[in-house]
Amino acid sequence: MAEQLWFTQILNRALGGPVNSMLQALHVHVQHPETPISNAAAMQLLVVLLLLLLFLIVRSRLSVDKPGALQHIFEGAHNFIQGQSDEIIGHHSEAYTPFLVALAFFILICNLMGVIPGFMSPTAEPIVPLGCAIVAFFYYQAQGFKHAGISYLKHFAGPMPLLAPLMIPIEIISHLARVLSLTIRLFANMFAGDMVTLVFFSLVPLGIPIIFLGLHIGVSFLQAYIFVLLTTVYLAGAVAEEH
Amino acid sequence: MRKLSNLFMALSVLSFAVPAFAQGGEAAGGGVNWVAITAGFSMAIASAVCGLAQAKATAAAAEGLARNPAARPGIQLALILGLALIESLALYTLVIIFAKVK
Repeated sequence: MAEQLWFTQILNRALGGPVNSMLQALHVHVQHPETPISNAAAMQLLVVLLLLLLFLIVRSRLSVDKPGALQHIFEGAHNFIQGQSDEIIGHHSEAYTPFLVALAFFILICNLMGVIPGFMSPTAEPIVPLGCAIVAFFYYQAQGFKHAGISYLKHFAGPMPLLAPLMIPIEIISHLARVLSLTIRLFANMFAGDMVTLVFFSLVPLGIPIIFLGLHIGVSFLQAYIFVLLTTVYLAGAVAEEH
Repeated sequence: MRKLSNLFMALSVLSFAVPAFAQGGEAAGGGVNWVAITAGFSMAIASAVCGLAQAKATAAAAEGLARNPAARPGIQLALILGLALIESLALYTLVIIFAKVK
């Protein structure tokens, strides 16, 4: 039986039976039948619910004449990502902003969850950054196909048709390596932050771990930003137009 | 003749090391944890080279910013992107360590 956080316990007690039946119907082997919902999954659900609530509150309080503090914050975040993707992608980048903002908020809140006692960062489990990276990967591939149709595949052939047999395996591997690098970068930063805080906590329980917790918070912001920045760069590569 | 006798003396001194080969089979059991030692060295090398590379990137960014302060957004973007990519190379080593060291 895996060790559970209090939120995971609530979820497992409420939804454990239906989740077990659903997993059995999909022929997925459950490792711990008493706790089918893992800590990471429960924390992700919490983040999604929190973000939904936040977005609904902001949406209901939008006002042109008297914007509140929350509206300022969300407008600031939206403009920041919009400006950055404008700079990197160029024209028509507004279509990609909703996805990038959602990704940024999700990863940021996931990263920061671990700082609160009683919660954990879902991004400290390797499967969660893998999920984010796969979503980003399929998103930019889909946008590439939507933008250029089937001739998006010409991107993989390289600059000259003569080099295509050499370039295609290299390009495919490099695209897959992007998924790997996005995953490992996010996971290793979050995991190492946790580890380093724990190590210093075991050495000097008072005072010093605060510094590393602060560093971990800074790294959380930076890594969320880097993830979105790299997704924007890959998007720019996918929807680029040859001049 | 003298050089030959010196050579033979040197070779015979080397034969004093032969008993060391007898130990080879027994120490494999509860011996040294080579994986942990290698992990320490490889992480040190990865971090050191990552530090050098990031120093070079930061130096180039600072110099570019000093020459042309108006290009700050572009230089800042390139700097952050470059630092994150270099950092991730050192992190790959860390991940392998956590995967392999018991």
